[in-house]
Amino acid sequence: MTETPDPEAAQAAIEYCYAQGWSDGLPLVPASQPLVDKFLAATTARPEEVIGEIEQVGRTCTVQLAAVNAAMAGCLPEYFPVVLAAFDALMRERAARGGGWQSTSGPAPMIVVNGPVRHELGFNTAGGAFGPGFRPNATVARAIGLIVRNAFGIRPHVLEQATQGLPGRWSICLAENEEESPWPPFAADGGQPAGTSAVSATLLRTCEFVDNRHTPDPEQVLWDIADTISRTGSLIFRETSAGVVFCPEHAQMLAEAGLSKQGVQEWLMEHCGRTGADLRRAGKNGLRGIARFADPGASANDGVFSRILPSPRHVPIVVAGARNAAISMVVRIFGEWSGTATPVGPLTAALAHPTTALGVSS
Amino acid sequence: MPYAILDPTGTTTADREQSPPPRARRRANLHGATVGLLVNTKQNAAPFLDEVGRLLVGRHGAKGTIARTKVNFAAPAPEDLVKELAASCDVIITGIGDCGSCSASAVADGIVFEAAGLPAAAICSDAFKVTADAMAGLRGAPGYRYVTTPHPVAVLTPDQVKERAAQVLGDVVSLLTASE
Repeated sequence: MTETPDPEAAQAAIEYCYAQGWSDGLPLVPASQPLVDKFLAATTARPEEVIGEIEQVGRTCTVQLAAVNAAMAGCLPEYFPVVLAAFDALMRERAARGGGWQSTSGPAPMIVVNGPVRHELGFNTAGGAFGPGFRPNATVARAIGLIVRNAFGIRPHVLEQATQGLPGRWSICLAENEEESPWPPFAADGGQPAGTSAVSATLLRTCEFVDNRHTPDPEQVLWDIADTISRTGSLIFRETSAGVVFCPEHAQMLAEAGLSKQGVQEWLMEHCGRTGADLRRAGKNGLRGIARFADPGASANDGVFSRILPSPRHVPIVVAGARNAAISMVVRIFGEWSGTATPVGPLTAALAHPTTALGVSS
Repeated sequence: MPYAILDPTGTTTADREQSPPPRARRRANLHGATVGLLVNTKQNAAPFLDEVGRLLVGRHGAKGTIARTKVNFAAPAPEDLVKELAASCDVIITGIGDCGSCSASAVADGIVFEAAGLPAAAICSDAFKVTADAMAGLRGAPGYRYVTTPHPVAVLTPDQVKERAAQVLGDVVSLLTASE
């Protein structure tokens, strides 16, 4: 490669990728074999190993294909073990293996990274957790989207039928702010020991902020969050799942009041829900099996309060963002979180000194 | 150009060149036929298919119906369910394809039933034709025919569901028989 890259060659290569239909709408990094080889050198997984299958569309993803898509997404080779862990974590989700990628709800993966790999690879663990602005966070999430599009062949308007989709699809990759969290890391809730580099993932239908810089009373903050979680619009079934991505300030306030993560989850399970009258007003009071429907005649349950969060696993709690304001995020989960985290595979010897061994071009 | 730009899809033309899957032999009509109804749990799917079944018995001489539920609407019908229905029914109706994954899946099931010797009519909302057609292509059956009903289906009242069932009846019969 010459000292000054040729912009016209780069533009032509980018346009070639668009013309093939590979892009999510933004420019792709054209992947060459030498670049993809660096990704493959970053993992002990074999290139031909199948790491995901969507049975109904008859497509699989191999390590090799994931590497091509990760390269195109703009990942550095050393991110690849995180991409593989994120993909594994997502494929543990029943909704992702089933029809989630095809769904009218157009769900967005939410990827959560824990452990030393956050700092080793330069993930943003502080302000602006939902992005954008940071290459590892942005490109790991994008790589998953390109895998779904290209390796699984699930493309918008064809096999992907999102009615409106949602902001943040293929761009939500949080690195937990473990340093300012009062609680054990999220990956510990997924079964990985604290200090492990691990990735958890689930699918979101949207997220909504709770701005409460108004009270020093932790229970008032929880009531504010419960009100947002309990909206009828997101209720489709008898029960639902909604997580909270706490800002450090809210998390520390709750912890100082003696609340563990489990304590917060139990409080929300107890207080999130709606009355029969509220549900009837919104046409969601009837239940046929687990599905809600409008049952106009049934007013007998108007005074009954229905809880909607059945277990702590339905209220996953993450701590992310800056400690500069008391703003947390309710995340609405599509289906339910599997409750597992995937360890990031060992970096191979080629990655011992990533900045020298793995420059983007040779 | 020293290096090729790599293809991220993993597909080759060989994947796309398959012989079309078999189509079940058609009966001349539905007299005495047992009609399978594979209900995918979407809102109004059960009353819709029940009414189509009732009309096939009442107006077209079908012997009766056997209804089964596919619990996971996004996935292909389980193999043992396909075998059971193929053994116990003469024709089958699947639906309602009324979402991104279940419309594609209803068509995929129809193609599987055809291969198992059972004439099939998948019913989909017309909002999902593109994804249903794409699935047919993926299953090596481009141009696979199914029945459509106008979107939406989920919010129809019981009487409207019956009207819709009556509206698709002619298409269902012509798809299941050699009458055309």
